[in-house]
Amino acid sequence: MKPLLSIRALSKSFGENRILKNVNLDVTEGEIISIIGSSGSGKTTLLRCVNLLEEFEAGEILLDGQAIGYRMEQGKRRRMRESELARQRANTGMVFQSFNLFPHLTALGNVTLGLLKVRGLDKATSRTRAMEWLARVGLESRSHHYPHELSGGQQQRVAIARALAMNPRLLLLDEITSALDPELVQEVLQTIKSLAQEGRTMMIVTHEMRFARDISDRCVFMDGGEVIEVAPAAGFFTQSKSARLKEFLRSSSL
Amino acid sequence: MSGFFLTLWISLAVIIAGSALGFLLGILLSYGAMPLRWLIRGYVDAVRGTPVLVLILATYYLLAIAGVNFTAIQSGLFALSIFCSAHMAEIVRGALQSIPRTQIEAGRSIGLTFPKILLYVLMPQALLQILPVWINTGAELVKASTLLSVIGVGELLLRTQETVGRNFMTLEFYALCGILFFVINFALEQLGKLAERRFAFVRRGR
Repeated sequence: MKPLLSIRALSKSFGENRILKNVNLDVTEGEIISIIGSSGSGKTTLLRCVNLLEEFEAGEILLDGQAIGYRMEQGKRRRMRESELARQRANTGMVFQSFNLFPHLTALGNVTLGLLKVRGLDKATSRTRAMEWLARVGLESRSHHYPHELSGGQQQRVAIARALAMNPRLLLLDEITSALDPELVQEVLQTIKSLAQEGRTMMIVTHEMRFARDISDRCVFMDGGEVIEVAPAAGFFTQSKSARLKEFLRSSSL
Repeated sequence: MSGFFLTLWISLAVIIAGSALGFLLGILLSYGAMPLRWLIRGYVDAVRGTPVLVLILATYYLLAIAGVNFTAIQSGLFALSIFCSAHMAEIVRGALQSIPRTQIEAGRSIGLTFPKILLYVLMPQALLQILPVWINTGAELVKASTLLSVIGVGELLLRTQETVGRNFMTLEFYALCGILFFVINFALEQLGKLAERRFAFVRRGR
């Protein structure tokens, strides 16, 4: 089966620092992939490259068989124009560690903005669709609240609704529970679990090992900018092959 | 009384023209290409470092030498607009840069292009910070318009001086002049407060 997302020989550096080294990864439609690794291993950067928030020097990313971010022009590799990047970004949804809701808009306003200004839907349709998504994350009754009037967990659920309302092919979750108080983590993870049952394709960067094990089809371990091990979730935690993954799993209590 | 309306008209025209240019420069100063940014930075710093009076005299006399024939009012409008635009550019830049970069990323992640991010995400947030300082700049401009009297623009102060010169009622007419300036700026301030209240719902979020 043709992969939905295909990352090939992806490399990126910040100056002398090589953040990603020859990363290869395929994600099939409906698959849930968790990426784990210590901070600085390049996992967040990988997600940001897929969402075209970061530039990368070598390799390519294919979404639905189409190269995103760059194209070859007369033998030279060139970054696409802003309008093309924007169009491609709309195909991947991203949820951030720090929520990044728009503070001047209500929960409803946050979700409708993309529908109105990117998808070009009319007000009534946008509103209806946004309300459906807010209901989906259990926040129907909070639609007219501003972000600061919501708890961290509620804000993150609005952010999830904002990303999903755009109907992306692929959902990218970047440490979405790391900024939450412990008692709020579960409500967000529950939301993701219910989305997983709908067959959404997701790439999840997380430190919640138990969550990764329960929800993922496959897990990826990254270290020092490289993909060290990729394996089905069941065996990933118990029968790790590489010494580095074993070491990492030992130090992070499951 | 014609002086009062001229002052009012000049101030209004300058605030509109200067702010429009200032917003544009402020946005370019924050997100423009590098060489353009340096150019604008030079302009803003040069204008801000010059006393308004010098700016007024310079445009009045230098433009004439350069062969541009402006009337006193035209060169006065020009000088004050330049002054206003430089200050506004700096205010707009400051407000935009105080918004975390993650807001731009959040906008990008849902597929908004940069102009749309500017319009729907950044500006509404920046405007809130800009508003009080903007009103302040407006009040400064109303006061700075008195300086146009030196190049013979018959605004409120010059007309008052002329009147006093005829009837010697110094105290009465300067007091009236002062009151009229107060009325303009008080009205401006109330307008600002009204606008701030309208946008207050956003402030609570910060």
